[in-house]
Amino acid sequence: MIRPEEIKMSTEETGKWGMVIDQDICTGCQACVAACAMENNITFVGEKDSGYGRSMHWIRIERFWEGEYPEVKMTPNQPMLCQQCGSATCEPVCPAFATVHSQAEQLNLQVYNRCVGTRYCANNCPYQVRSFNWRDYKRPEPLSNQFNPDVTVRRRGVMEKCTFCIQRIHKAQDTAKSEGREVVDGEFTTACAQACPASAITFGRVDDPESLVSQLARAHGHGVKHLEELGTLPNVTYFKGG
Amino acid sequence: MSNNFSRRDFLKLAGVGAATSAILTGCGPASRYVKREPYMLMPEYNYNGQSTYYATTCRECAAGCGLVVRTSQGRAIKAEGNANNPLNLGKTCARGQATLHGLYNPNRVRGPIKHKRGDRLYETAADPFEDEFKDADSNMNWDDATQTVADALKKYKPSEIAFLMGTTSDHLFDLVADLSTQTGITPPVRFGALSMFESRATLAKAAENLFGESGLPFFDVGGAQVVFSFGANFLETWLSPVSYTRGFAGLREAQKKQRGKLIQFESRMSSTAGKADEWIPIRPGTEALVALAIGRLALEMRGGPLPRAFSDIDPEDAASKSGIKIETLQKLAEMFANSTGALAIPGGAALGQSNGLAVAEAVLTLNAVADNFGKPGGVFFSALAPNQAMYQRPASVKEMQDFTKKLADGKIKVLFVHGVNPVFELPAVLEFKKALDGVEQVISFATFPDETALEADFVFPDHHGLESWGYQRVVTGSAQPVLSGSQPVVSPFYDTRATADVLIAAAQLAGGKFASALPFKDEVEFLQSKVAPLMSEADGFFSAPDINTFMAYFQQYGGWWKTTDARLVPTTADIFNRSLKATEAEFAGEGEFFFVPFVSPTIAEAGANKPWLQELPDPTTTVMWNTWVEINPVTAEELGLVDDDVVKIVSEAGELELPVYRYPAIRPDTIAIPFGQGHTAYGRYAEGRGVNPTDLLGGHFNEAGDLAFAGMKVKIEKTGKKQPLSRLESMMGVYGVGLGEEK
Repeated sequence: MIRPEEIKMSTEETGKWGMVIDQDICTGCQACVAACAMENNITFVGEKDSGYGRSMHWIRIERFWEGEYPEVKMTPNQPMLCQQCGSATCEPVCPAFATVHSQAEQLNLQVYNRCVGTRYCANNCPYQVRSFNWRDYKRPEPLSNQFNPDVTVRRRGVMEKCTFCIQRIHKAQDTAKSEGREVVDGEFTTACAQACPASAITFGRVDDPESLVSQLARAHGHGVKHLEELGTLPNVTYFKGG
Repeated sequence: MSNNFSRRDFLKLAGVGAATSAILTGCGPASRYVKREPYMLMPEYNYNGQSTYYATTCRECAAGCGLVVRTSQGRAIKAEGNANNPLNLGKTCARGQATLHGLYNPNRVRGPIKHKRGDRLYETAADPFEDEFKDADSNMNWDDATQTVADALKKYKPSEIAFLMGTTSDHLFDLVADLSTQTGITPPVRFGALSMFESRATLAKAAENLFGESGLPFFDVGGAQVVFSFGANFLETWLSPVSYTRGFAGLREAQKKQRGKLIQFESRMSSTAGKADEWIPIRPGTEALVALAIGRLALEMRGGPLPRAFSDIDPEDAASKSGIKIETLQKLAEMFANSTGALAIPGGAALGQSNGLAVAEAVLTLNAVADNFGKPGGVFFSALAPNQAMYQRPASVKEMQDFTKKLADGKIKVLFVHGVNPVFELPAVLEFKKALDGVEQVISFATFPDETALEADFVFPDHHGLESWGYQRVVTGSAQPVLSGSQPVVSPFYDTRATADVLIAAAQLAGGKFASALPFKDEVEFLQSKVAPLMSEADGFFSAPDINTFMAYFQQYGGWWKTTDARLVPTTADIFNRSLKATEAEFAGEGEFFFVPFVSPTIAEAGANKPWLQELPDPTTTVMWNTWVEINPVTAEELGLVDDDVVKIVSEAGELELPVYRYPAIRPDTIAIPFGQGHTAYGRYAEGRGVNPTDLLGGHFNEAGDLAFAGMKVKIEKTGKKQPLSRLESMMGVYGVGLGEEK
């Protein structure tokens, strides 16, 4: 048995793709949430199931209250999505190897056809960003015409989460490869970042010091990574601002 | 622009494909559409797995943001912002994203229908998520439908024919306006609930009074250092939310030497106020006093003679009436006076009160203290759109009341309704539905089976916006004049027909002056006739020597805009010398609570039938799929109410039952209800969900004719019932729930 003090936390910088989110300009408008749902074939679950906490948001906007009226303040809106941890707590608990780390893209993958629905990963995720298909939710005709052909449609009993729009990553890489070049920073972005009216979300290569996301992280200088103390090595940096 | 396109660039950028080649060869309207194919069959212009992108315009509100819609095999699969369009620069709001749920909505009007008023347009089932809802079958063909419209035009006197239209789409409005000027039919009336809650008429009227010219003010939030917003919810639905959100990001930009500040004055913390550095929970009705007091204090700090506009106000009196400490007012005045870029914005509920016009004038005049007119970070008149002679605002509710009276009195014999749902959107006190009894024939062009379509004799469905041609004038939000263009991105799903085509064909059938008023083959020819004059204008984003090429570019880029800043500088010579009324608002009704209805930031006026908009959590309360009433926790405790208790809200005009949400950021003497739900039709996802707060509104107006929607006082009665709200935020731990400390 390994005693807690013997656990070695990985502190090495990892990650390829990452995000910076500026909470100071996020207005909580939900455009990213809608964009994510439209891009990734995320189902809606209806009033009853969403009341049970079964809604399938891959990204959600958190806001908290501080103080009491009249000195009450809303904390800066906090878009919360899969942090694509370099050392993810969801990965080692999956008995089916459905949630694995991509060596190529340094992302946490969710392999839907391996998932058997134990929900251990969701249990173990400190960010609470995984959502489970509790039912086969109906999307009556002709709503199904809107499905993105690049993204799998999930069924009941399968866990799902933010993928950093991996279909867009792959498409950009394919295009670049066929044109014999590297993917250029800013050539593509995730659905949430593309929609964001305030441009609060920036996506790109964190391993490239010249990319916009790396530059922003340096320029702000006060970025935080959530629950970093757990040793998860998250790849999303937040600016609290204010 | 280079003419050397690779095929890939052509498909990607142009977003034209088959559609444009049809234009260039002049085929009929049918061939202008992209065909929807089974996944087995590949349209020849498409590669397997390659998407085609079309530029068009969002019709979820009147702002006119440009979209680029990704299509695959003739299906629209994702809407993104059009990066070229100067209004939204590639960005969209949640409603723009969800526009596809309108296109693919399972409850649409599928073809022309002759219909008994009040009959349903789809069969209702018990569970919207499990059971089948069947849409009503079309029982007419389009030839008969067109003949019906032609007969209606011919049968009645021109003064007995009226068009009631929504705030989109402008090309159809122009078509009907042309028809009206040339045939004498009643000029078309436009309305939308958003413009009611924005208090657009008041803002425009105040600007006219102060600056001597009409127009819609534009507030350069992005260039300012300190923004004082009196009720303007510009990060939610106000005027042009995507553009104003970009402005807000500019205000906060970290690269700036100093981070800009937002101070929001309103009785309930909206999600705009949630982003503010300071939320000032002002007593409703005292906005004018506070604005003038801040102005006076700021001028006194600077020294010099006090101008007439600010001489009548007593800051101490304003402080005590508004419930803001005088020290706070002084601090705010100091901030305003010392800032190099102060800006004051009037809007929303602050103007929707009996003294709304005085509030708007006081807040606009506050800008004179900052001397920001026509300067970066200041107040401008919005640039007029390319084919716009002057700003035409939608009808105020007062004008709608007059219009409704005309209907009820039988002065209008045939009413055409397009793009608006007055039975739902207008306050119940106007009795629009009953007024329709005075109209012999009601013809609706509704895309969705909404409440107004239910009260029509005929429903001749228009295409969805993504299946349509058209254009929308950008009336505010961009420095350049912008005309956003629409083109079909998919072929129509159902047997719908463009209303412009129906009217053109009907005018031909009616003959005489109708035929000569609309001498067009179809909608596209009409569109070309309207766009063609732009070819000779200077400073265009593109130009072309002939109309076909120009139209192809127009579609390719999603419209036409100038490259120059055309915002106008207001004339303000006399602004300090006007005497401003330091009045408080009057409130109608007996109750003890101020009532603030506000537009749901996610659902807005017409989003309730889009399931993903329903499932978006409200930004402040995180409630989904329903309506709630926000009550301060202290007030709730006094009344013995907890979350999900159903209460009855009683106003002088009506009453509603809905569940309580204890909202920590609202004045204890104020309650608030979001607008957007409470449909009795409009498809399976909207119907029977929540309540409509316009049922509580009385018919009181301000001097500009806008409804005093925030000028009501209401009572709260307990019902003893419970209705759990679905919310994203857990209830655990909130107010001690689940900790054994529940009160």
